[in-house]
Amino acid sequence: MSDVATPTVILKDNVWTSNPIFMQVLGICSALAVTNLLVNTWIMTLGVVGVTAMSNLTVSLVKSFMPRKVRMMVQTLIIAFYVIIVDILLRAYLPDISRALGPYVGLIITNCIIMGRAEAFAQSNPPLISIWDGLTSGLGYMGVLLAIALVRELLGFGTLFGYQVMPNGFEPWIIMVLPPSAFFLLGILIWIAKSIMIKQGEPVV
Amino acid sequence: MNKQGFGYTVVFTFVVAFIFVALLAGANAMTVEQVRFNQQIRRQRAILTAMNIPYDTEEQVAEIFDMVEELESNGVTLLQLEFEGDTRYAKEVSGSGVWGTIRAVLGVQGNGERLLGLEILEHNETPGLGGRIDEDWFTRQFREKLIINGSIQFNEQPGEGDFDPDSGRVDRITGATGTSTSMRRIINNSLEELLPVLGGEQ
Repeated sequence: MSDVATPTVILKDNVWTSNPIFMQVLGICSALAVTNLLVNTWIMTLGVVGVTAMSNLTVSLVKSFMPRKVRMMVQTLIIAFYVIIVDILLRAYLPDISRALGPYVGLIITNCIIMGRAEAFAQSNPPLISIWDGLTSGLGYMGVLLAIALVRELLGFGTLFGYQVMPNGFEPWIIMVLPPSAFFLLGILIWIAKSIMIKQGEPVV
Repeated sequence: MNKQGFGYTVVFTFVVAFIFVALLAGANAMTVEQVRFNQQIRRQRAILTAMNIPYDTEEQVAEIFDMVEELESNGVTLLQLEFEGDTRYAKEVSGSGVWGTIRAVLGVQGNGERLLGLEILEHNETPGLGGRIDEDWFTRQFREKLIINGSIQFNEQPGEGDFDPDSGRVDRITGATGTSTSMRRIINNSLEELLPVLGGEQ
């Protein structure tokens, strides 16, 4: 994490140098579970971006009134609140997606990235820059998940966003549909990202 | 005021919890109608599809569905519809799948000779494998399928779908032995219950 929290530094940190998934290895559970179809991944990560931004904003707004003892409890309450709002909206207006995501929307609450940003950033920074931090962290998460989902849907189903792109004779790879493939892909992605960072001379943890 | 004190902490926690819970209750109350409507439409569509009845618009679904009667016979709840001169039945069926309960609607001809169709309402099967039970090619296999010896046979080998209505057989799903077996059990158990009521072949 860089010392001065300017918007550009935060963006670069959250999307690349301290990417929540491949540098901090947070939020792995959902990275494995919901990435076999791009549409589901897209909606789910959109939910995470929104929840991280809004919970960061709210935590930042109430931080000066918050007793230290109940700090984390209140953060969890705020996060849970936004996640349930997302769940309610999906059920009412996007019932098909809601059915496809099943319990994973509710599980956004347990995504460590959101709690991590609330505790590490929003708790000690003003509201506007906290929203930005939440948004960019969510984007860092979204980027990695979409990259994994792209490979999994393409090889597992021969489609992208549900549209057939592979030729007719293409034999889908069943392993890509199952969670273990995300595990391998994630490993490969971390490997690539760290190799690039080493080449660029960035300090790699 | 001492923000770290006991009294303040309790009051703060209470107020924060109260505000957020109240907001959630409000959001829920605002969308509850829409959610119920979505579920109802989905169920009605599934039942009509399982009965092999064509429809286009939501109004049409509601219109046709108004004519559906619910009746109970020997402890079996059935939906009955007179359509184009014949009697069609549908039954909501369920059973355990690989990861959770599979709920579906099974449509059967009035004389119990053939299925009319199958439509999946809810499942938690593995996406891309067992989850394919809700795909069109899988459910389309059950259209007008002949019921032989009171059951539907599942082919030993998985395939791309058996669309011959007189074969009395359907294809399993590749890589989803568990789900296919569950579907066979759910459908054939339901037929065992249903056919005596309809007075069809047993």
